[in-house]
Amino acid sequence: MSIEAQEKRQGVALVTPALLWTLVFFAVPFGAMALMSLAHLEGREIVQGHDLGNYLRIFTDPSLRRGIFVSLEITATVTVISVLLAWPLAWIIATRVPQRWRRMVLLLAVLPFWTSYVVRSYSWALVLGEKGVVMNALVGLGLLAEPVQIMATRAATVTGFVHFFVMLLTLTIYSNLIQLSPNYARAAQDLGASQWQVIRLVILPLTLPGVMTGAFLTFVLCIGDYITPQILGGNNELTLPQLIMLQLGRRGDYPMASALSIVLMAIVTLAYAASARWLKMERV
Amino acid sequence: MTFKHSCAIAALMAGLGPAAYAEDLNALIWCDHADPELLEPFETAHDVRVNVKEYEGTAAGLTLLEQSRPGDWDVMVIDAVDVGRAVERGFLAPLPEGTAPTADYFPEVLLEDHVTINGTTYAAVEKFGYNTVAYNKSAVDPADMTSLAALWSGKYDGRIAIYDYYLPVLGLVGLNAGVDTTDLDAAALETLRDPLMQLKAASKQVSDVVGSQTALATGEVDVLIGGGEWLTAVLNAENPDLDWTIPEEGGLLWAQSLAIVEGTEKPELAAEFIKYVTSPEGQARLATSSCYWGMPANKAAGDVLSDAQKDILRWDDQAEYLTRAQLYPVPDADTDAAMQDLWTDMLQN
Amino acid sequence: MRYLSWVYLLALFTFILLPVVTLVVFSFQDGRLPVPPFKGVTFEWYAKVLSDRAMMEALFNSLIVALLSSLCALTLGFLAASGLARVILPGSALMRGALIAPMTVSYLIIALGLLQMFNQIGLRPSLLATGIGHVVINLPLCFAIIYAAIGEHQKSALKAARDLGAREWQVLWLVAAPMLMPSLAAAFFLAFTFSWDEFIIAFLLTRFDVTLPVEIWSMLRSGLSPETNAVGSLVFLVSIAIVVVLELTLFRKGSK
Repeated sequence: MSIEAQEKRQGVALVTPALLWTLVFFAVPFGAMALMSLAHLEGREIVQGHDLGNYLRIFTDPSLRRGIFVSLEITATVTVISVLLAWPLAWIIATRVPQRWRRMVLLLAVLPFWTSYVVRSYSWALVLGEKGVVMNALVGLGLLAEPVQIMATRAATVTGFVHFFVMLLTLTIYSNLIQLSPNYARAAQDLGASQWQVIRLVILPLTLPGVMTGAFLTFVLCIGDYITPQILGGNNELTLPQLIMLQLGRRGDYPMASALSIVLMAIVTLAYAASARWLKMERV
Repeated sequence: MTFKHSCAIAALMAGLGPAAYAEDLNALIWCDHADPELLEPFETAHDVRVNVKEYEGTAAGLTLLEQSRPGDWDVMVIDAVDVGRAVERGFLAPLPEGTAPTADYFPEVLLEDHVTINGTTYAAVEKFGYNTVAYNKSAVDPADMTSLAALWSGKYDGRIAIYDYYLPVLGLVGLNAGVDTTDLDAAALETLRDPLMQLKAASKQVSDVVGSQTALATGEVDVLIGGGEWLTAVLNAENPDLDWTIPEEGGLLWAQSLAIVEGTEKPELAAEFIKYVTSPEGQARLATSSCYWGMPANKAAGDVLSDAQKDILRWDDQAEYLTRAQLYPVPDADTDAAMQDLWTDMLQN
Repeated sequence: MRYLSWVYLLALFTFILLPVVTLVVFSFQDGRLPVPPFKGVTFEWYAKVLSDRAMMEALFNSLIVALLSSLCALTLGFLAASGLARVILPGSALMRGALIAPMTVSYLIIALGLLQMFNQIGLRPSLLATGIGHVVINLPLCFAIIYAAIGEHQKSALKAARDLGAREWQVLWLVAAPMLMPSLAAAFFLAFTFSWDEFIIAFLLTRFDVTLPVEIWSMLRSGLSPETNAVGSLVFLVSIAIVVVLELTLFRKGSK
């Protein structure tokens, strides 16, 4: 046997376990779910079938259809705000903070990552309430005449999300920034560019892949999250994951939950297709 | 290094693991059955470990049973009005005669029509209470709270929270519109759509137990529709201003029951568990659980509860309350689906 | 500009740290409500958490699931990365895509699919089922990190070992693993964290034995109490301790 053939055989042998795992515990369940989405609930029994009734309902029932838009609006808002807040933070840490403090500052920036995810959402509920720390401070300082409602609104959900994703994006953008050679900036400055022009015309475009990858991850994690809107949103509007959990938990309607999941999946796939040219998923 | 470190932690934790018991009893429960204070005496007495799994809503519970195999579950807590639904699908085993001391029960909560089907008893009621209106009496006029109509009057707009469970709240909206819970069918339901949407417009949030408690306790809302003693009792020490009432239109009576699951391999042990929970001691512990309080079905628990606890439970007012409260609606599958659709619409708008 | 930078830094750090600080402060609240006003210091809630049997078991379960599932994901990811980095196979790009794919799918969807498949084959919801789910979400992560770390330099070192007659397992165990140690450690550490903190898969795929996030969730649903703050603060403390230890040992060596 040629050395090349043997190499290939061993290469295949090494990849096979991981591929098998992905096939059995990812692809097959996904297929099972897709099949389930074509069944429907009759009374309280699941009837196997192959009709698109569930999908039809998702796009005609105003409450379900609105779930898609609520999810998209929240996710888009969160992604944009998070990127806008995280980029300057990453830039400041990479360029302004002295080298020896950087690790410390970065660690501090991701500190809340280390508490439990569920508890982190809950702690925002305590902070944002009318009697919470923020309102107490604002009213106490005379900046507000009386507390305004943030808790149990979309603003609370967005705040909780942005908090998490600013941490995530700061890390991805920071690692992107420090890989850039300082020569680019210096060259541009030598050619007479102002600092602002350097950032806008040189550094920003160079960090685009990192930003896009982070933004895509934000999109995926945000649109699929159940905890944050459930704890902070006050049930005043429902996102897709909340609708999915409602179908599961209250009615045992697996077919509808599956169909909603497939729709959620389709949205993420579209987002991926739209941003694929900038993404480097293997380099996350 | 991480690996070694984690192993060390794991080894340390293994030493702190649970004590070994001879047997297991698997129980499908509501959160008030999870307290060690309730379970431990039974576990010690019978050398058994009680494994509990919480569920929410009868539909979810029945789905869980459907996906299980016979023998997976031994006992379950179920809404007394839904016992029929579970029996119809063959999930419950008959309850041996004399398991629960029904002679000592509040007669109104025996609910024989619901727990006894074709002459066979399947479940024993264990705890009851009311879904009505809970409020902060320092922030609202208690006189207003004697009528449900106050919630639609505009006076409390933006200060109302709705408890996130469709059956009791739809029941209350029905009572305000003059529909008894037994008459709540698909046609009656459509007439409740507008008042429900108005209620949503007047409210600040629709929330679960903790969300409602937080909002009420911190003064973010002053009125909670669907609330009752089960929600305010645990906060009593902190904020004595939290109160509840049954308005003149009436309130909803909730009653939970315990049943043996069909196919159990330990029917005797399961019956013993039900016997324990419905005994005066078990009843007192269940009534004052850390999750929520509620009246014990067994009157004899009154000898075990302290006077302060009985005050909070309003022991002496029960006779009057029971005459004014109506049972939960018992929808058929289609009406239930319609109710949930209506509820989803309310949440989403 | 310089001045503005520091203001911005301060503002964002306030935003980032505010909820955690609030959480920890009110875990000492002497009263039932973890909201202002602060009424005084008590350790009652910590005592309660530490004596909570269900909570301690959930903590233990979480450790086990996180440990085993990340080891499993790490091994599978390491093997796959070594295999794909070694030779150009027909369909290499496709295989990489397939291995990365679960990363672009919401956890909820993965959980729902597994739940339905397990139902059909009769595997009951359990820690095992949860662990399987956690390997699914962590495998792409481990694979990507390790694959990215294998550069030309590493490839030629591995090739040299093989040319000198080392067996495949020796190459992997004695050459590749030590050489890739920093990225293996990073992958394991990340996978451990993700599994440790994962909620929705564990929520849908467990029954009696639950993991910590699920136990905290049911605690949160059953009543308002500074006990929730105490649990959160404890988890926080333990995590920080681990990070500090890692920082002082592993990463200090790795980064310099």
